[in-house]
Amino acid sequence: MSDITEPQIMPQGAPPSAAKPAMGAATSRVDGRLKVTGAARYASDLYGGANPAHAYLATSTIARGRITRLNEADARKVPGVLDILTFRNVGDRIKPGKIFSQKGYMGSSIAPLASDRIQHGGQIVAMVVAETFEAAREAAHRLQIEYAAETPSATFDSPGLESISAEASSREGEQPGEEKPKVGDAAAALAAAPVTIDQRYETPIQHHNPIELFTTACAWTDGKLTVWEPSQNMYGFQNGLAEQLGMAAADIRVISPYVGGGFGSRGSLTQRTALVALAAQRLRRPVRLETTRDQGFTIATYRAETRHRVRLGAGTDGKLQALIHEGWEVSSRPDNYKVGGTDATTRLYACPNVDSEVTIVHADRNTPGFMRSPPEVPYMFALESAMDELAVALKMDPIELRRVNDTMHEPIKGLPYTSRTLMPCFDAAAKAFGWSGRDAQPGSMRDGEWMVGWGCATSLYPTNMGPATARVVLTPQGTVKVQTAGHEIGTGITTVLALMAVSGLGVDIAKVTVEVGDSALPPAPVAGGSNSTASIATVVAQACEQIRGRIAGAAVAAENGPFHGMDPAGLVLVDGTLRASSGASEPLEAAMSRTAGGAIEAYAENIPHGVPEGALKKLYLGQGTLMGGAKLKDRMQFAFGAQFVEVRVNARTREIRVPRLVGAYAAGRIVNPKAAKSQLMGGQIWGVSAALHEATEIDRRAARYTNNDLAEYLIPVNADVQEVTTILLPEQDTQVNELGIKGIGELGNVGLNAAVANAVFHATGVRVRELPIRLEKLLEA
Amino acid sequence: MPDQTASPQLSRRGLLGASTAVAAGPLMAAAPVVAPATPPVDPRRPVDVALTVNGQQHHLAIDVRTTLLDAVRTHIGLTGSKKGCDHGQCGACTMLVDGKATLSCLSLAAMVRGPVTTIEGIAGTDGTLHPMQQAFIDQDAFQCGYCTPGQIVSAVACVQGGHAASDAAIREYMSGNLCRCAAYPHIVAAINQAKDGMGRA
Ligand code: FES
Ligand code: FES
Repeated sequence: MSDITEPQIMPQGAPPSAAKPAMGAATSRVDGRLKVTGAARYASDLYGGANPAHAYLATSTIARGRITRLNEADARKVPGVLDILTFRNVGDRIKPGKIFSQKGYMGSSIAPLASDRIQHGGQIVAMVVAETFEAAREAAHRLQIEYAAETPSATFDSPGLESISAEASSREGEQPGEEKPKVGDAAAALAAAPVTIDQRYETPIQHHNPIELFTTACAWTDGKLTVWEPSQNMYGFQNGLAEQLGMAAADIRVISPYVGGGFGSRGSLTQRTALVALAAQRLRRPVRLETTRDQGFTIATYRAETRHRVRLGAGTDGKLQALIHEGWEVSSRPDNYKVGGTDATTRLYACPNVDSEVTIVHADRNTPGFMRSPPEVPYMFALESAMDELAVALKMDPIELRRVNDTMHEPIKGLPYTSRTLMPCFDAAAKAFGWSGRDAQPGSMRDGEWMVGWGCATSLYPTNMGPATARVVLTPQGTVKVQTAGHEIGTGITTVLALMAVSGLGVDIAKVTVEVGDSALPPAPVAGGSNSTASIATVVAQACEQIRGRIAGAAVAAENGPFHGMDPAGLVLVDGTLRASSGASEPLEAAMSRTAGGAIEAYAENIPHGVPEGALKKLYLGQGTLMGGAKLKDRMQFAFGAQFVEVRVNARTREIRVPRLVGAYAAGRIVNPKAAKSQLMGGQIWGVSAALHEATEIDRRAARYTNNDLAEYLIPVNADVQEVTTILLPEQDTQVNELGIKGIGELGNVGLNAAVANAVFHATGVRVRELPIRLEKLLEA
Repeated sequence: MPDQTASPQLSRRGLLGASTAVAAGPLMAAAPVVAPATPPVDPRRPVDVALTVNGQQHHLAIDVRTTLLDAVRTHIGLTGSKKGCDHGQCGACTMLVDGKATLSCLSLAAMVRGPVTTIEGIAGTDGTLHPMQQAFIDQDAFQCGYCTPGQIVSAVACVQGGHAASDAAIREYMSGNLCRCAAYPHIVAAINQAKDGMGRA
């Protein structure tokens, strides 16, 4: 890591003493000690109580057809086997559920043990429960299962695919509010434009592969169910399970204190959870399921492959005159899941004539789902590659091309961006990178046998917020408890919330406890869409403000106190005291002695801008309403960044190496720059990974994944990563929310795949339009 | 100079080779012990296993197929070591066995003879953090923290084994420990910070 700009943005209200942690100061994680000592308990470490039975899955070896024979005899003979769940004894015991994007809770509507039907490769066909993990595994392998296989449709170009336009799927009421951004006459403008680009791009299947496996433990006590499972959506899991099991949500508790990586994979409920709950009910004993790494490829969601056609028309000055972005995405047979990234790509640059279309292609596959920056990663790869191609055609610097098309108003409806710091990001990153030393001619920069290429691209991510609730308790001794059913997936949300308490209540960070990851806590939105910090920090700040208000109100009313008659709004809690700007101050304990009772507890709930009133009720039902980005009726909320990359391609072997990355990002107020940099840096590395490493290969005849483990599904290792520079630009945007917070979890990896492809073109003159970029694709260079 | 820029494919293969070799150590050492004249009647019958973990003796009656990782997590109840693959591909389960970094998912508990140190045994008995643990906090060398126990155990072995002389050497040695959150540059920084406190490079 090289130098990093840390904006020191001070909180509104109380000026914190400089040495203490507060909003805007780089702060070590409050859960750091637990995580480095092995004491942090993840859901996978909580086995459901003493003496759980162990479950192991068997999954289908075909992608489409029926089970014709399922012989359990050998499996039952394994000592210690307790139960075997198959379609014969599950059937309709588990009720079908809708997928997340259709206002349901599930990652897939395919109910694996509902019948003998197989709808994708690796579908769950049985769950064996035994005294030990080893016995369950052995028995699962001893199940004899025969199938009547039908020819599956694997992916694009396979026979037997069906497709539906995203617009039509929306008309069917599946994804309400979907639109097809369009303005002017793009076809005519394209025909008239002096410089045009018309290219097709492709992105591969990718799997999240968080390091924590997809485990579940379930235990029943007096008709109530407790579930321990890594989750990015506590209330969604609770309510989804209630629906599946036909019971009251209040009788289900989901616990997920720390999550070993999410990246979107744990935002929707998988079908495994209800099976484990059922098994525990049948056995009257806790059951713990540990799935294997390869099963994780098919029992959860993933990023589906996409195709794009992008047409750009520009004047010789570089100004866009026409932009047409068409996308195709694979989904499962029954589910119209799509990411639909055109709502961002059609609004990023000024352009009077825009058209777009997204088509969902149904194949015999498990249902895909959100994976870190779901729409932006594939769609921005296409757009930002095309923009680079346009810059080459225009003989224009790619940064200047972005500059002439920069805009404070999106082109479709003319809505204003609440803030947009895109070009300052480009300028800061270009300077740090040394872009001015670039020779634009492809193949012109050589270093011995290495062809050097420099590329760049835009990153953007919608600033989303959802309704959220939180409870804060302050004791006279200055200890604080913050409670909200948010999710510590590694984003550092617990540290952020502790910092909110420090800023709002003037306490020592060591005295703050943050509880998240439990559906018994007040509800918070899904940890997705980079909304958590903005949504939850806002509501925690409101709860702290209620507490401060109560203490201050009592203080100004007290005739014998030092604050009598003052404006309560002017009193702040800082360094364990209540203070006025006049200098009057009083220890917290004394100030709190005036309020009734010992501790003060505040509950706050917040409905962000653009979210309908009923959204809080829905939040309690596990249905979050994320709002922001291009979805608001009156404005555009996005965070921006600029991605720069140097690649080196060996002139002999075409090996591709990435010695350095520079990214500059502006995302409003950064509550904890230390964790923020880590997250953006991780995103940058994800971007390179998407460009060069990651692809799930599929056997086209069998529609099954072939590289379903960590040895063959390539993600970067330490030796693959060298210099990564992450620059945070200060940005003030109090429109997005009072605190001015934009999300950053997904900003870091958007656009980087295009930046790498653009750099590879610059190094070699070869334009790779199908990710990942591997050396065989460069052999003609 | 170690190759810091090896292509992912090549370095991964190298790593897998290295991992296997590490795991094979205890297997070979234990071979005479587990080759009785008459094979057990029922291979599934629990076997008595004695393990010394973080200085504590444990006597377990477990399925002979139980890995060291599952023995420690499920049967002893020390869940700091993590399972990310069960196949020797991620490093999350790394423990020190006889002082050597070992993939505990590739080691059968019944074959382990030497003392085992897990992440829970890295800090001082009084709770003082090991310099490597403190460095991981200071450098923010993790996000979700799931790979972290394995990273820290490997990092301690990296320094103790003299593999931390340069960034490139650290990266190469640490490449058996995957971090999906991609904290890699900070992990390198943490090892650089801690190696002085540990008195070796
Ligand atoms: S769990 Fe042992 S290497 Fe992955
Ligand atoms: S910190 Fe999440 S996998 Fe390494």
